[in-house]
Amino acid sequence: MSAVEALYIFDEHNTPLLEHTYAGRPPSGSTVLPLYLAHPSPRPSLIYLPDTNPPTLLYSIIQDHLLFLSPCSKDTEPLQVLELLHRVADALEDFLGSPLLASKIEGHYDVVAQLLSEMVDGGIIACTEPNALRDVVEAPSFMKNLLGGVGLPSSTPSSLTPSATPFSLSSRPSPRLSPTPVSQSPSPVPWRRANVRHTSNELYVDIVETLHIISSPSGRPLSAISNGSIAFTAKVSGIPDLLLQIGCSGGVLNTVSLPVFHPCVRLNRWKERPGDLSFVPPDGRFLLCGYEVDLLGPAALDSFSTSKNAKSAPKLNVPATVSIQTCLGSSGADFEVRLQLNPRFSGKSSSPLPNSTGSSFSGRGGLGRGIGGASQGTTAAPTIEELVVHIPLPASVKNVADLRVAKGPGDAGYAPGDRSIVWQINSREVATLMSTDRGGGIGATATLRGTVVGQADDDALDGGPVSLSSNTYDYDDGTSLSYQSPSDHAAQATDTTATNAKRIKQNKVLMPSCATVSFSVKGWLASGIRVDSLAVDQKRSKGLGAGITPYKGVKYLCVSRKGVESRC
Amino acid sequence: MESISRISSLLETARDLTLEAARDASNARKTSTQMLPSGQLKKLLDSRSERDVLEGLKRVVTMSYRQPPSQTLPFFTHVIKNIASPSLPVKKLVYIYLLQHAEHEPDTALLSINTIQKSLTDTNPQLRALALRVMSGIRVPVISQIVSLGIKRGVGDMSPYVRRAAALAIPKCYALDPNTEPQLLEYLSTLLGDKQFFVAGAAVAAFLEMCPDRLDLIHEHYRSLVPKLIDMDEWGQLATLRLMMVYARKCFPRRIKKIRKINSNPKSTSTTKTTKGFYDSESDSEESDHQDMEDIVILDPDLELLLKTCQPLLQSRNSAVVIAVARTYLYLGTPDYLYTAIGPLVSLLRSASDIQHIALYNIVQVCLSHPEPFVNYYSHFLVRSTDAPHVWRLKLELLTLIFPYGPPRLQSLILAELSHFSHSGSLDPGLVKEAVRAIGRCSQSSATSAKTSARCLRLLLAHIGSADAHLVAESLEVIRHLIQRDPENHRITVVRLAKHLDAATSAQARASIIWLVGEFAGLDSENNIATDVLRILAKGFADEAEPAKLQIVLLAAKVYVHHINANPPPEPQKPVEGEPSPSLLGDFQEDGGFRDPHLESDHVQNTPEKQLEKPHPVEALYNYILFLTRYDTSYDLRDRARMYRALLATPTSTQLASLLLLAPKPVPQTPSPSETRKGYVLGSASLVIGDEGGIGGLRGYDDLPPWVKEGHEPDPRLREETGTTSVYEAGGRTLSAAEQLDAATGSRGRVGISTSPTKNLNGIDGVSTVTSSSAKERTLDDWLEEEEDESEEETDEDEEEESEYESSEDEETESEDEGEEDRLVK
Repeated sequence: MSAVEALYIFDEHNTPLLEHTYAGRPPSGSTVLPLYLAHPSPRPSLIYLPDTNPPTLLYSIIQDHLLFLSPCSKDTEPLQVLELLHRVADALEDFLGSPLLASKIEGHYDVVAQLLSEMVDGGIIACTEPNALRDVVEAPSFMKNLLGGVGLPSSTPSSLTPSATPFSLSSRPSPRLSPTPVSQSPSPVPWRRANVRHTSNELYVDIVETLHIISSPSGRPLSAISNGSIAFTAKVSGIPDLLLQIGCSGGVLNTVSLPVFHPCVRLNRWKERPGDLSFVPPDGRFLLCGYEVDLLGPAALDSFSTSKNAKSAPKLNVPATVSIQTCLGSSGADFEVRLQLNPRFSGKSSSPLPNSTGSSFSGRGGLGRGIGGASQGTTAAPTIEELVVHIPLPASVKNVADLRVAKGPGDAGYAPGDRSIVWQINSREVATLMSTDRGGGIGATATLRGTVVGQADDDALDGGPVSLSSNTYDYDDGTSLSYQSPSDHAAQATDTTATNAKRIKQNKVLMPSCATVSFSVKGWLASGIRVDSLAVDQKRSKGLGAGITPYKGVKYLCVSRKGVESRC
Repeated sequence: MESISRISSLLETARDLTLEAARDASNARKTSTQMLPSGQLKKLLDSRSERDVLEGLKRVVTMSYRQPPSQTLPFFTHVIKNIASPSLPVKKLVYIYLLQHAEHEPDTALLSINTIQKSLTDTNPQLRALALRVMSGIRVPVISQIVSLGIKRGVGDMSPYVRRAAALAIPKCYALDPNTEPQLLEYLSTLLGDKQFFVAGAAVAAFLEMCPDRLDLIHEHYRSLVPKLIDMDEWGQLATLRLMMVYARKCFPRRIKKIRKINSNPKSTSTTKTTKGFYDSESDSEESDHQDMEDIVILDPDLELLLKTCQPLLQSRNSAVVIAVARTYLYLGTPDYLYTAIGPLVSLLRSASDIQHIALYNIVQVCLSHPEPFVNYYSHFLVRSTDAPHVWRLKLELLTLIFPYGPPRLQSLILAELSHFSHSGSLDPGLVKEAVRAIGRCSQSSATSAKTSARCLRLLLAHIGSADAHLVAESLEVIRHLIQRDPENHRITVVRLAKHLDAATSAQARASIIWLVGEFAGLDSENNIATDVLRILAKGFADEAEPAKLQIVLLAAKVYVHHINANPPPEPQKPVEGEPSPSLLGDFQEDGGFRDPHLESDHVQNTPEKQLEKPHPVEALYNYILFLTRYDTSYDLRDRARMYRALLATPTSTQLASLLLLAPKPVPQTPSPSETRKGYVLGSASLVIGDEGGIGGLRGYDDLPPWVKEGHEPDPRLREETGTTSVYEAGGRTLSAAEQLDAATGSRGRVGISTSPTKNLNGIDGVSTVTSSSAKERTLDDWLEEEEDESEEETDEDEEEESEYESSEDEETESEDEGEEDRLVK
């Protein structure tokens, strides 16, 4: 069971930052790192090293360019260790500030050491809840550096973090005789630290959805899944009891599938009324809920018919799609990538959105917290940002000649030897492109063209072409050629274009097989989910002063990280 | 669930820039923590100012992380001196230093024990817990008795934090000195029954670490541990689920009852769960009509309690917990339970890529035994262009596993998916290979219809025309497997392949096709193409590559053997010689019916005339090929030709040649790649590593224990709690399982109603899954109410802690009255 034997952290140059041993005599970081790096990339998260003594299982994650390694000599549950590594990264970030940088760890070894020894005790994972850790470990703070910790009694309540209140020093119950500080009485809610105090009470909901869409060569979506996460930031005094209601035009139960929840969420409430999240939040930022939405719906499979009726194709509202055509030109070495932008995301608020009803949000807080500038996209007028098209290429491609953006803006980058073409279009260029849209609901398009160049020697022995008879056994048309009948002798003599056909065939191997789009859209969610209300249950909440209504903010973000993929 | 830092990185766009900047700056960042000379550092540590000491300690701790211990050891005494410091931050850092260095200086470390021991009686529970943790963490064996005493004190502590530290100290103390085991077991038994769930969770973890075989300690705590499962932290849940898997296997015999399929209403299954004798007699009487009987697993009520309690954990954010619940259902529960875990298992695929990879292994493992429920989640298994090789390998396997069970539309989709990756210049040759193999597996699966198989074959045949050498070679390999499995139906496929010989240029592909033609040379003799193919190939023999030449010679030999066997040379003095060989062939192609008796006689009649004029074309071809090989450059080829020549020297005795050349080939089996790991337990690291870690799993791998035999299980009465009145006892043993369970859930449901007004709907539902999670609700609400009480009686602080502890104790022990009591307090 002794799951965790040691933890090693390396920075982006693989120089060791930290080695912490918990139990046993695991091989040191300098031993396992070369063995880890010897594994060809991409490296799996669990590698077995039979050559170390004792033979070791090496778990690894990479977070913010930092490499976390944990060796283990015994069979344990792999996910247990990996989850722990993620929690360690989360806790370090929580204490040292985001993003997690090597220099921050180096500057606060004392805090890191305390955290690591609290989280795992003798190889057994003890406590990973950030709030519980706040109770026992003091976060590094500007205030403390200023005072140098002089004269502060040992019982400094750990709630004295800068996020608490600048007046907390004076309001601290210093004249107490009994040295039992308040923070040391165990918190009644395991995930919330005791005695939270904030001067400004704030609640933020951030819903982030990640798109994963695969389209077949015909443009029909094969799968379209949107993975959602609700990140919650609670900066509220006392023990608030919150009710977050999310809604959706099609009904939450039909939309949201396979949800997972932070332990604070009352599962019964969700089961009774899907969409209601009732919980006592931890202090600070945490992930409240994760879910996924199948954008195609359950009947997607039935709509795949052999006949090419476009009318049965499910309609998807994807901000940007890409299609790719290959084997163009006389020698079949050209390809064309067409990027299509959905006119809904032009950033013009004139087009009212069906799901913009979230603006009837209660509370005195407004929507769109912290979104600076009008061009940044709002719920009423979402815009596409950070648009990038990736076109991966086969290894046999040696160069891409004549790569140019034929229509529309952006920079297409490719260096000989690269495995992919990157076509970047920044937000301003997207806006210009959008303005070219003449309406009619088609949206704006842009195209990229290029020519692949393969190996110079076409008649390489092993890679030699196996060009065959002109019988094309196309499985698509299926019925036209029943291969079992020996009668079909379609052996037409190869004509004069035989050599050309041969070259086309060779170039076919060099063609890219797919293209992916990455983007982010603020103020819009693919699933149409929205926050209906966020209420503080005054009766059940404790410690929140009477009449105090926390500031509430909601943010929606839809991203695709090479998630929208079109095949060809 | 994704980790919060990954989500926040999506939210904060400036973050990547910051990271870039940090990377650039990282070369110059070493200045931030410059080293002090050791003398100055010692001065800091010896200083009277707390601030200086703290500063010095920070530097020492920094050093200890960056440099080997030899650099920081000189400060040992200077650091340890500060252990008595009243300042908590100083103390914590001293403790950290002590844990890191105690082993190198055991004698000096012993000096600190006394001070630490004093801290065990400190008023601050945090300090007490810390002291206990540090004391047990010092790896100096002589102090084992002191540690044991410290644990004893900690076990009785009123702060749950200290009790948890005591629980975690137990395995450490055991590792120091195994002789302390009897005392430690006693403490452990107390802690296993602790009312505070995070203490119990830690105690279970300690139990698994120290003495996982002492299941006798668990009996009396079983019924209190299982309901606590839902409230424990994730790591406690993991440990408990692991323990319960072994415990259930060893304590609940698998009772299987056969009932009629038609009237298989759940009521009858649960009511008839009684004694063994009854079960036996019933199974005897119903053995007669066996075929319309169905096996129904009868769950022990205690086991069912565990299975039901697990259900809310499927929505845990911790992927390891989800896998652990799935494991519990797979190995302990019924398929119905397992099916509830399928969705949550699939949902793990949206986590970070490292977790996704491990989760896929586990999904494949479940899918091998229960493929049907995964069919609905096919869209999660489609391969993305961004997937790493270890991920798409498993995804392709999943697609082939669900393939036979999907509706026709899905089958077409999967085949289209696989063929997409097998051609059109895919990025990775490995992916091409794997996709072709996957098509082969799809068509081989026993559940696939003949029509679909034919479609798979058609797909593969289409690949032969590709320009990708990998693809052609791999496709032919798979085609060969398919044909060999069912030679009868694939005669025409071979003809079709032979036609490709005109165009196929890859030597390996040609060799493969020629071999297949040779294998089929004996089938259907009057309409066989083998001879013809040989004739055509002989013309271009000189231009063939060596692998193809080898196969041509083999083909010639086979054709010749068939020819001789079909037309035995007329040697009347030895009629017996000729006879056995056809029968041998007859054996080979049992139902082939490769020639008819009248045809044979026809041949026999014809041959003498031909013999007189000139050799039969087949013989001439054979001799021609052998003649060509004599002058070939490859000695391997020459050697083989020589061997065939010797083998077939006398046309009258072909027995040996037939045995060698026409031996029936074993049908190739291509199981799913993960079949080799099927024996490993779900969720283990051995499952991920496979047999690479040694047969039988990695070190520390525990195989699943077999179900205990009926009658060998420990007495179920051992599980009855001694102190409290169990709901199970209330009705007596005569109650049926269902009734007992109803009683149990009903009573707990009522508690839920009485404590919290929002639970009314649950009570009406009466579903026990809901009720078990309502236990969590109840406790949470109670905390909140406690909190309220606490604030009222803030006068005496020591009392406060005491009372809180007691009230939480009450809450657990009294199940029904508690609700009303709380009302009264209010």
